[in-house]
This record gives sequence, structure tokens and C-alpha cells, in this order.
Amino acid sequence: MANDSPISLAVELGPLKLKNPVMVASGTFGYGQEYAELVPPERLGAVVVKGISLEPRSGNPPPRIWETCGGMLNSIGLQNVGLRAFLEEKLPWLRPLSVPVIVNLFGNTVEEYRELATALDGQEGIDGLEINISCPNVKAGGMTFGSDPEMAFQVVSAVRSKTNLPVITKLTPNVTDITVIAKAVEDAGTDILSLINTVAGMAVDVQTRQPRLANVVGGLSGPAIKPIALRMVWQVVQASRVPVIGLGGIVSTEDALEFLIVGAQAVQVGTANFVNPGVTLEIIDGLEDYLRQQGLADINEIIGTLEVPRGPVGIGE
Amino acid sequence: MLLRNAEILFNDRVSPELYHMGLLCPEIAARIQPGQFLMVRVQEGFDPLLRRPFAVHRIHHNDPPTSFEMLYRVVGRGTRLLADMQAAASLNLLGPLGSGFQAPEQDGLVLMVAGGIGIAPLPHLAETLVSSGFRGPFVLWFGGKTAADLVCVKHFQDLGFAVQLVTEDGGEGLQGLVTGHLEQWLSQQDELPKVMYSCGPYPMQRLVAEMAARLSIPSQLSMEALMGCGVGACLSCSLRCRPPEGAQDPHYANVCQHGPVFDGEEIVWD
Ligand SMILES: Cc1cc2nc3c(=O)[nH]c(=O)nc-3n(C[C@H](O)[C@H](O)[C@H](O)COP(=O)(O)OP(=O)(O)OC[C@H]3O[C@@H](n4cnc5c(N)ncnc54)[C@H](O)[C@@H]3O)c2cc1C
Ligand SMILES: Cc1cc2nc3c(=O)[nH]c(=O)nc-3n(C[C@H](O)[C@H](O)[C@H](O)COP(=O)(O)O)c2cc1C
Ligand code: FES
Repeated sequence: MANDSPISLAVELGPLKLKNPVMVASGTFGYGQEYAELVPPERLGAVVVKGISLEPRSGNPPPRIWETCGGMLNSIGLQNVGLRAFLEEKLPWLRPLSVPVIVNLFGNTVEEYRELATALDGQEGIDGLEINISCPNVKAGGMTFGSDPEMAFQVVSAVRSKTNLPVITKLTPNVTDITVIAKAVEDAGTDILSLINTVAGMAVDVQTRQPRLANVVGGLSGPAIKPIALRMVWQVVQASRVPVIGLGGIVSTEDALEFLIVGAQAVQVGTANFVNPGVTLEIIDGLEDYLRQQGLADINEIIGTLEVPRGPVGIGE
Repeated sequence: MLLRNAEILFNDRVSPELYHMGLLCPEIAARIQPGQFLMVRVQEGFDPLLRRPFAVHRIHHNDPPTSFEMLYRVVGRGTRLLADMQAAASLNLLGPLGSGFQAPEQDGLVLMVAGGIGIAPLPHLAETLVSSGFRGPFVLWFGGKTAADLVCVKHFQDLGFAVQLVTEDGGEGLQGLVTGHLEQWLSQQDELPKVMYSCGPYPMQRLVAEMAARLSIPSQLSMEALMGCGVGACLSCSLRCRPPEGAQDPHYANVCQHGPVFDGEEIVWD
């Protein structure tokens, strides 16, 4: 029966081969261990760990999150255990698992990105690097690397020159034209693009007239940002030659399919893990069911199949 | 850690803002330790988005235990949705989470301090201590804004607790704040408590911790924080603590993992 025919969810993003296109997003799944009792990491397409810096970081003072309509703001401040503790305490647990491990990394200077890439290259058990470029460049007055094509180019070139691992560059949506940044990091040699990181936002307590986050501003994630993410993924897919990983607000199979249909070759699930820790497993099963219903056997038959009825469309209102 | 749908057995209003909810979930009832908590999905959709953290108030002592209670205060959207739920409906729970209260090192005077809804996790602790053979004496200091906050007092009395009530408006018990009266009471005791367990608003917790430190009494405080995940994955629930050897300052611990129960000496107060 057609119903029992094998379904393939495997995808190839340039040098990165995944058994299915569902990954977990950095900062929402710890180092894999936190949810392991509920979500065996080996079932996932890949695990992207919390962003790592050269030195440990304390992060921002609390309060660090605030729930908004269909979303949440966070200003964790990139708290992390630092490179050494990651390699000594976190990676050994992930290493024996048969799931690709992607290390998300960030720095305050181009030099720090370069050093991190050097230290991570050749480490057993790391299958790819994801460069978080949504960080302030302390040498450029705190402007984020990811909002300037030239700085983004420098960071990605620095990492590229020090590693043979697959390099993913994670784009920030907080820019006027995301395709300009996408092209810059493509020229710098990124193998893959992932987008979007969180959308800059804020919230105020009207009783105290204080910001809800101690850091005043934070990043919005969750279902509230999905349409923005989807639009940006679609734009970047049109404009770039490298494979794209889509994320931002995915909570269901249908959400994941939307990203695949507009051309993402894989997806990451972030905030939804908090709400429904089983969500990634549900999406993996859901993708299979969808393919069966559509009479298809391979997820690649869905990717980039957006049907635009009336010719090319602009980004107008 | 389990992800389970529990059946709501009852959801009773016990005072204007407080509700008791009974939940049938044998696996969680059998595992959860005093002071641990659950992340509750207050409805199936995505707005409100995040789960809400709640303590377990009491385990129902059938053998083996199959059900338990939460005690909650309606303060916002999530708890209003909870209050509207009916018996027989199901509620999605993630837990048990965090590290809870530890038994005292020796038998002797046990002091519990609760402020308002801070009473929530203490009956589970009290029952566990009594049923595991601690003889006390046991004392509960319980403060509320008004008499309506002072629920489940009889339950503590039945367990052999001496209960001292305090209300801000003087409607029941002593008038004022728990911490004000407690200090004086402690100074009159021949035997100092072997441990102080405390749950309540931040300023109360701070005063309790400082009092305990002055008298060299070990304190165990159940702390609150805004939580994203409840499992240590998101790093939202940070509480400033003394840095361990060699760690950075400021050092933030995850309330959901390292806590919610902290040794009062660990915390760096604002
Ligand atoms: C470990 C722990 C155990 C708790 N146990 C209990 C309990 O047994 N009974 C009880 O009534 N309350 C308890 N609380 C507090 C309870 O979680 C909040 O009252 C509840 O989340 C409020 O949700 P809301 O949607 O009604 O309020 P809203 O104000 O609308 O919530 C907005 C956001 O803030 C969060 N939030 C608001 N107040 C608190 C708070 N005090 N602590 C943590 N997060 C908060 C909510 O979870 C939500 O994400 C506990 C908190 C923690 C951290
Ligand atoms: C609590 C939290 C922490 C995050 N930490 C990181 C991080 O360390 N590095 C990173 O590149 N993105 C981080 N992100 C962004 C997510 O990986 C993701 O890009 C974003 O949340 C949008 O996806 P979502 O809507 O599915 O959550 C974090 C997001 C959240 C909510
Ligand atoms: S709530 Fe996510 S780390 Fe504590």
C-alpha cells in the first residue's frame, strides 16, 4: 500500500547532511541534556547549542523575559559557560549521540570570532558552526555585526578562514534589507544561512513606568514573529545561492511546512520547545504524515514549491 | 521529568482570590518532592504563550499516591484561565522540576514562615517531615494581607504545628508583618530552630534570610522568578547568588534548576 511506502525526510544543506529537517534553535534547548528525558536528541535533524563565547558570560540582570501577545521578549545577555567549560563539560555528553551538533558562537570583536572558530575546528563531535552575528561589535561603538554588510563580511570571513566545518551564518531581522547582509556573508564564504534571530522589542509596566526587562530592550520570539520570519526567508531564498534554514515562531507542522514551501531546506524550532517540549518530535511525525497525504515520498519534493499565482510580487503593504 | 495530561478532580474557590485544584496524575504524585514545582500549560493555544510555574500544595495520601493539589492565587491572565477550568477537564503538566526542600539534619524545632500565597508548597513539606518521623516541635508563622489569605491553617494544626497568624490589617492574629513579630519571638526561644523554611514575597524572604544568618540557623527559601522553560534551557529565571570558587561575579543561578529552594546564604540580595 502506498501508505506504507518509505518516506524520506533527509535533506542536504551543502556540506551538512541531516536525517530530517527539524533542528532546535540556539538558546532554547540548552546543551541538549536539559530536555533529553522528553526529547531524545538523536531523533532531531540537529541540535544547535546555546551560544558560546571565548570566556564565560554572566548575562544580564533579571528580569530577563517578558511574555507578550503570542510571543516573549528575552534579554538573557548571552549568558554561557564559555568555550572551555563547553568543551570539557557539555560536549562530552553530546559527542556519542548520533545527531549532528552545531555550535552557535559569538564574540565582541572579529578577533574573538576567529579565535573561537580556531578552537572549535577539529573538535570531535562538532558537525558545524552557526555564527550569531546579532551581537554588538565593541570596537565599532556597539553596532551589531549583523546590521552592517562590511562587518558581517569580516566576521564570516574570519570564521571561514579558520574552519573546515560547515559554516552557518545566522541573520538578524533588525535590518532594512536582509538580502544585502545575506549576500555579504555568502561572499565571505558561508555555506548556509539561518534566519531569523529575535526581533528587537520592548514592554513597559504602566504601574511603575519601568521597562519589563532590566535591559530595557530585548528580542521577541515565538508565534508573533512567524510572518516576519517567513517573509524574510522567502526574500533570502530568492536572493541567495546557499541553502537556507528557516526559523522564527514555528510551533507546528504547518508552520514548518510554510518555511519549507517558501524554500528553506530545514527549520529550527525555538520558543515552542518551552511551551510544548514534544513539539519537534510532533513536527517530524507531522511532516511524514503530510507527505503521505500528498502522495509524496521525499521532503525535497516540497521544498521551494511556493506557487505565486499572479507573477512576481513586491513587498508592499 | 514528565510531560503528562492530568485530570482535574476539583477546582474550588477557597477565598476571594485563592483556588484549590485537585489533579489526578499518578506518576507525578508518586515522584514529586516537597518544594519541587510543575510548569502548567494553562490552555492549549499560544496566547498566553508560556507555561506557568506552580508548587504542589499537598499529595493525597492514598497508597500509592495518585493525586495532588495545587493552591493558587488569581493574579493575571494565566491564573484566571485556570480558575475557569472545570472538573474532568485535562491540564498539561511538565514536572517534577527543580530541587526542593531538604529535611533538617537533626530532629528539633522546625520553623516554617509563609507570606501570602507562599503557603502553597509548605503543607507538602510539613506532611513529608511528619510522616518520615521528625518529631519537631513544628511552628508555622503565617502572614497575609487580610484573614482571607490565611488558608489551610487547620491542616497544619492537625499535623501538630503551633500556628502563629499575622495580618497586615490586624483582622486575624497579630497585626503587622510576619518578619517583625518573628524576630521578637525568636529572641524569646530557649531552643533555636534547627532550620527555617520560608516562602513568600522577596522582601520577606530577604528579612528571613538575614534573621537566620544572624542567628546561624540554616535557612531554605523557595524563590520565584519569571520562567521561560522551567528546565534550565533558556536561562531566564536567574537569581543573583554568591559565585562559587573561581566563578564570575555577578553569578546568576537558574531558579528552575538550582532552586526554587535556595540556602539563604547563597543569595545576593538586591
Ligand atoms: C517555583 C514557583 C512556584 C510557584 N508556585 C505557586 C503556587 O503554588 N501558587 C501560586 O499561586 N503561585 C505560584 N507561583 C507564582 C505563579 O507562577 C504566578 O502567580 C503565575 O505565573 C501568574 O500567572 P498569570 O498569567 O496569572 O499572571 P501574569 O502576571 O499575567 O503573568 C505574566 C507572566 O509573568 C509570570 N509571572 C507573574 N507572576 C509571577 C510570579 N510571582 N512568579 C513567577 N512568574 C510570574 C507568568 O508566569 C507569565 O509568564 C510560583 C512561582 C514559582 C517561580
Ligand atoms: C531565551 C532565548 C535565548 C536565545 N539565545 C540565543 C543564542 O544564544 N544564540 C542565538 O543565535 N540565538 C538565540 N536565540 C534566538 C533563537 O535561536 C531564535 O532565533 C529565535 O528565538 C526565533 O525563533 P523562535 O521564534 O522559534 O524562538 C534565543 C532565543 C531565546 C528565546
Ligand atoms: S526557566 Fe528556563 S532556565 Fe529556568
